[in-house]
Amino acid sequence: MIRRLRRSLVRVGAMASKETTHVLRDPRMLYLALVMPVVMLFLFGYGISIDLDRIPLGVADQDRTEASRALVHTLTESGELTVAADTTPEGADRLFRRGDAAAVLVVPQQYGERLARRERVALQLLVDGSDVTSANQVLSKVDALVRAETRRLAGASVAQAQVPLTVKVWTRYNPAGRSAIFMVPGLAAFIIALTAVLLTTLTVAGEWERGSMEQLFASPVGRLEIVLGKLIPYLVLGLLELLLVVAFGASVFDVPVRGAPVLVLLVGFFFVVGMLGQGLLVSVITKNQLVATQAGLLSALLPSLLLSGMVFPIENMPVPLQLLSRVIPARYMVHALREILLKGNGLAVLWPDLVAVIAFAAAVIALSTLRFQRRLA
Amino acid sequence: MTAPRPAPTAGDGPAIEARELSRRFGAFLAVDRVSFEVERGEIFGYLGANGAGKSTTIRMLTGLLAPTSGTGRVAGFDVRTEPEAVKASIGYMSQKFSLYLDLPVRENLVFFGGAYGLWGKALARRADEVLALADLRDAGDVTTGDLPGGVRQRLALACAILQRPRIVFLDEPTAGVDPVARRTFWRIIRELAREGTTVFVTTHYLDEAEYCRRIGLMVDGRLVALDTPAALKATWVPERLLVARGRDLARAGERLRGLPGVQHVVRFGAALHVRVAPGGVSEEAVAAALRSAGASDVAVEGAEPSLEDVFLAVVGANGRGAEAAS
Repeated sequence: MIRRLRRSLVRVGAMASKETTHVLRDPRMLYLALVMPVVMLFLFGYGISIDLDRIPLGVADQDRTEASRALVHTLTESGELTVAADTTPEGADRLFRRGDAAAVLVVPQQYGERLARRERVALQLLVDGSDVTSANQVLSKVDALVRAETRRLAGASVAQAQVPLTVKVWTRYNPAGRSAIFMVPGLAAFIIALTAVLLTTLTVAGEWERGSMEQLFASPVGRLEIVLGKLIPYLVLGLLELLLVVAFGASVFDVPVRGAPVLVLLVGFFFVVGMLGQGLLVSVITKNQLVATQAGLLSALLPSLLLSGMVFPIENMPVPLQLLSRVIPARYMVHALREILLKGNGLAVLWPDLVAVIAFAAAVIALSTLRFQRRLA
Repeated sequence: MTAPRPAPTAGDGPAIEARELSRRFGAFLAVDRVSFEVERGEIFGYLGANGAGKSTTIRMLTGLLAPTSGTGRVAGFDVRTEPEAVKASIGYMSQKFSLYLDLPVRENLVFFGGAYGLWGKALARRADEVLALADLRDAGDVTTGDLPGGVRQRLALACAILQRPRIVFLDEPTAGVDPVARRTFWRIIRELAREGTTVFVTTHYLDEAEYCRRIGLMVDGRLVALDTPAALKATWVPERLLVARGRDLARAGERLRGLPGVQHVVRFGAALHVRVAPGGVSEEAVAAALRSAGASDVAVEGAEPSLEDVFLAVVGANGRGAEAAS
């Protein structure tokens, strides 16, 4: 029994050390594992900033009084909105078509007079809806600023007239609302999903194409031994990659690390095993490097990008997609990373994510070992 | 006959034994009821055209492919029910044997040694031994991809014999290798056999088959002839080939055509090649006939038919649906 175990360990060790030599001798692998993730993090981290600054606002001031100028001043004070053009309600379309303004604020005639008489005044906001993200941000920003202005006006003129309900917003964890802080944990999970799947698809399909798989099958190396020997070196590489991405996120994008880094490694360990296993499964089924790479990329890229909650909130998805997202391991990794890094949560909150990534890893490893027939036909 | 487990190659049965071994791929019968035995320490050549079923037979015997019907025993283990025991006791060099070209020669040996459970000092020592045996002593640190084809094949053989298997299966080990390198390769194979290793080798080079103790010939999935090279020649090319040398043979040759049993007389350079049916005239009679026709300094001796003649005869006979010889 002990002897058999030792022989088995020798075989796993032989596989693992051979794979390590492959990686060390192949700069492309190292590039794929260690350079590409950082490059991607930079590209995505700067590219997928969904914060809008200095939104161009057209102003059609039909009142032109001190009061109307005060309103425009309040709106543009913070720099989030800037006056892009002085225009008329009819001129709004032209501005939108040329892309010179994301919205046009129409201040009606007699704005100042009616305010002084304490009458209700309706401002008009024309919004370019062709870019939904920008439109939503303009809406919420203008809405918030106008409320503030209303309160200011009310407070200034009628000190005792209390507004019955006010909401004081106090944003925790990401007070500045910076999207990088939200995006980087998601990106980390996404990038690792992608590269881990690619790492194993390339290596296993390579053995099939080279014909060395037949040679391996003719030796006493068992299925699980092949699988483990293939996984171990890439697992180490994947974890290095995870640390690298988190470290870069923290230093370049100021992503906080509030929780225990060891938790990142714990969840990351099983997540990486799961994604490596997915790559293994793909290449066990396809047996061809080109097909395996394509299938591996698609099977990792699309779900991890679209269904992980990295960009699109899962709660807003149609129910079938929500259900589908439950079998996407990136979903749990994204969630866990945000919980650990941004909120400093521990296992009390993370355990469902941990259970999910372990279950996925166990399932794909079992499946690929079963599919891995050590016979040729 | 049946070797008891677990000792590999226990008992004293044949090293390899195939009984009615068949393999079907869909409608295509790749191997059709093949039966043979290979004795221990024998070099057994398996000949046939491409697609004749050689590799399929090897894959069944190495436990890589389950037979559709029939049985095979290798080193005393059943290839269908105990493929793992078979794998542990054989060395195999597949037709497409592929070393890891990006690794140095020694790393390839270390890896395949590890795959067979060798490690540490024992592995290092054994690697040195096979490097020496394969004439690769100084190539240990060379990147495998930089080696010429013939040298790679020797390295592949070295990898296949690392774990000291009692039986090695070599599937077309010299395909695409130049004649000098092939000769070196066969020197190593014969050395292995001398040390008691059973060698099962497929090839389509007929000159190599002369090195084998026995030869099996496959045509369209069937084993149609099986014997020693000499016996195969006697069975399949029963005519004798006589070579006559001397002076003034050209005119005298005409006289031979009338002799009993002479089928064919051809000038071959300065010599005459005379093909005589079994029971036809003897060497002496041919020499006498030539002398009486005016030739001088006449010497006549028998020449062996080549295996190529055998192969053509076998394929020809079986193309017409004739029965197998063995």
